[in-house]
Amino acid sequence: MNAIDGTDRHVRDSDNSPPPSLLTVILDTNPHAWALLSDTLPLSKAVANLLVFINAHLSFNHANQVAVIASHIQRAQWLYPTPHPPRSSSSPEENGTSTPTPPSATKYHRFAIIERELQDNLSRVISQTTAADLTSSTTTQIAGALSIALSHISRATQLSSPNDSSGISLDSTGPTLSNPTDTPTDPADGTPRARRSPLTSRILIVSVSGDLAAQYIPVMNSIFAAQRQRVPLDVLKLAGDTVFLQQAADATGGVYIAPSSPSARAGLLQYLMMGFLPDARARAALVMPGGGEVDFRAACFCHRRVVDVGFVCSVCLSIFCEPLEEGECLTCGTRLSLGAAVAAKPVVVPRPKKKKKRKVGDITGTSTPMSAGTPGP
Amino acid sequence: MNASSDTMTANPQALEVLQGFPGTKLEQLYRQPSTALAVFRRMLPHLAKTIVMAMLYMPNPFLASDLDAWIRPDAVAEKEQALLVLTSLHIMSTSLQAQGPRAYILGKAFAKSLRQALTGSGEHKSFGVPCRPPGNDVVDVKTLDDHARRQWEDILYYMVGSTTVGVEGQSHISDATKSLLELGNFVDKRGRITQTGFTFLLQEVNAQVWSLLIVYLNRAPELLKMDSVDILSFIFMLGSLELGQGYSTANLSSTQKQMLDDLGDFGIIYRPSLKTPIFYPTRLATTLTSDASALHSSAAAPTPTFDTGLAGGSGAASKGYIIVETNYRLYAYTESMLQISVLALFTRLTMLFPNMVTGRLTKTSVQRAIAQGITADQIISYLAAHAHPQMLKSTPVLPPTVVDQIRLWQIEGDRMTTTSGYMMIEFATEAEYRDTVEYAETVGLLVWKSDAKRCFFVNRIEQIRSFMSNRRAARA
Repeated sequence: MNAIDGTDRHVRDSDNSPPPSLLTVILDTNPHAWALLSDTLPLSKAVANLLVFINAHLSFNHANQVAVIASHIQRAQWLYPTPHPPRSSSSPEENGTSTPTPPSATKYHRFAIIERELQDNLSRVISQTTAADLTSSTTTQIAGALSIALSHISRATQLSSPNDSSGISLDSTGPTLSNPTDTPTDPADGTPRARRSPLTSRILIVSVSGDLAAQYIPVMNSIFAAQRQRVPLDVLKLAGDTVFLQQAADATGGVYIAPSSPSARAGLLQYLMMGFLPDARARAALVMPGGGEVDFRAACFCHRRVVDVGFVCSVCLSIFCEPLEEGECLTCGTRLSLGAAVAAKPVVVPRPKKKKKRKVGDITGTSTPMSAGTPGP
Repeated sequence: MNASSDTMTANPQALEVLQGFPGTKLEQLYRQPSTALAVFRRMLPHLAKTIVMAMLYMPNPFLASDLDAWIRPDAVAEKEQALLVLTSLHIMSTSLQAQGPRAYILGKAFAKSLRQALTGSGEHKSFGVPCRPPGNDVVDVKTLDDHARRQWEDILYYMVGSTTVGVEGQSHISDATKSLLELGNFVDKRGRITQTGFTFLLQEVNAQVWSLLIVYLNRAPELLKMDSVDILSFIFMLGSLELGQGYSTANLSSTQKQMLDDLGDFGIIYRPSLKTPIFYPTRLATTLTSDASALHSSAAAPTPTFDTGLAGGSGAASKGYIIVETNYRLYAYTESMLQISVLALFTRLTMLFPNMVTGRLTKTSVQRAIAQGITADQIISYLAAHAHPQMLKSTPVLPPTVVDQIRLWQIEGDRMTTTSGYMMIEFATEAEYRDTVEYAETVGLLVWKSDAKRCFFVNRIEQIRSFMSNRRAARA
């Protein structure tokens, strides 16, 4: 008799089919960082591994989707899917060569399309990078790429409409094949949808460059947006060390793996296949890598320095590394006055001898590793 | 009951057929990368896919202890399910090294083919050899959809035709298809629809195609002297082809060339003429190994552009036409005699309008359907699958009162349920009994137990058997 109990019904409905999943890969293409890695892991090899990983993701489910964004030094750029229409003014010569080649007999058609588009777009990104670009900046536009990824996810989530999103039972046309001639209402008429779309999304950041302190605020905003959209940010840190990406993975429930040694980097594909391939549904059944110490330090709003101890505006919570000269918050303009006692350095001044012996946790009350500074670019 | 978990992703019918294959044949089958990919995508439970992918590029065997550590303790049932399917399909086996800890390895042929499929390497040509038709008479997607719809509806009309007046004489299906329907026991010798046929009618298109293909697979080897491995790998290859693209018949085996005619009759493939060595897969074929809606009227672009790439395989919403009210009244916006006669199987239709029919779900009509072998779940899933967009806005889609009542009408007839399975008795020690029964409970196989008599009843034996031998090995 349990079968007719109403509570049973919904559980079974949602259990029947694993939801399609959207994987958005943000590939850090910072030429400076890849140049450092070129001995152990050249970019071409990393991209080849990434393609196998993407194909593996697509082969999980026919409805799985993928998007790849390059976070380059000057801008963030789509690698797949190629945005349409392409700007005809910038690349007129490509319209002539865009005749679709017939699919290969040894490649699954979808895999072949992604491979071709991704490689075309990546080589375009690289060829369009000028020497002036390289000298002007050494960091990567991770914040821009994250924003693009999040807006893409939110668009894709809205596009997977309730009709075809609720699994096999609802998106079939059944044994009857002709369409009804009369449909009084359109499901896509903007009415609020009662069903939550089950498209599960996640972002994988393949990061090679360090020091994102300059983009602290936009990155943190993206992290909070991802947290709100329930999008886990997975981070594969091949080189460099950034505080904020680890915080991103921690805050959104993503996976953070940093294979730092050359031998570990050689196993890039295995990291991808085992650590990052499981989607939200599979993760529920798996013990995911993670844990470890998370560096919760923040960057100040005035000089973008990563600080252990700083000054915080009591109104808008902006962080500053040193007392403000004007006594006015740079963000909200509130007049702040520091008492005479703390007007000097915030670092504990007296007893320098004891400071060495003191435990780290005593100062900040969190698990902040004091010894690990953030390396420069 | 855990049995529902293997239908999550897997196609239950096709899975059963594959599990019935001997290991050598499966090995032969897995040599085609397209087959390996299709089996991976369509037949495996979700966790099994994750395990396979983790092991695919692993240089050493995967230690059983590592696997246990990787999977959460509360997901033991899913793990056992995944391992069972993987071993029964000969995709994964226990490492043969006698010494050392227990470890798992992937089948060589399967792993190699899946790697080839992912990297697009090799010389296998298993994803179809594309070719352009001579001249410029390219077949567009609409033609293919029309062909598929016409052929498949003809088959359904033929089956329904025996029960409903008014749709007779509309079907023109070949004698081969007729005899196939008869062999599959969908219709009897006089062409009247059977219980299996009713079940068939209420399935979604994709499941219908599979049902028919499986009958074909079971019968063709003995009747037409075809090789079942060839048939299956061709079916799986069709699933990975691209809609709207022509493919050459040149490198097909003789069995597969023979199949082209039959598959053309079903509407699964389309051949412009019998002379040109070219065939086009229709939507029925390209969605064989996916769970996207099999027949859409909206033609998606053959290559995903920025926008359709977003929409992915899920495609546009199929249009439902049925409205069910809480007072059991049913309104169906349809003109199709086929849809009306399917509805008439379990509804008391009262009025017919130019673009709609109305009726009621009554105790008599539902129980009549149940007597014909249709189950309450089939009726409910049919109604839900074809619910009108207006209905889809509410959760749950169908009024709970109607759903519960249909189930109750069925249960009225079933005073007794039977479960086939295995009785486990004569345990040597209390501990052995307790461990085994606990295990059976966690993997969801336990049906009944009696602690006093030290015996219990399970509906499947394979996992219990391997558990007990592992336990014994661990003790020894």
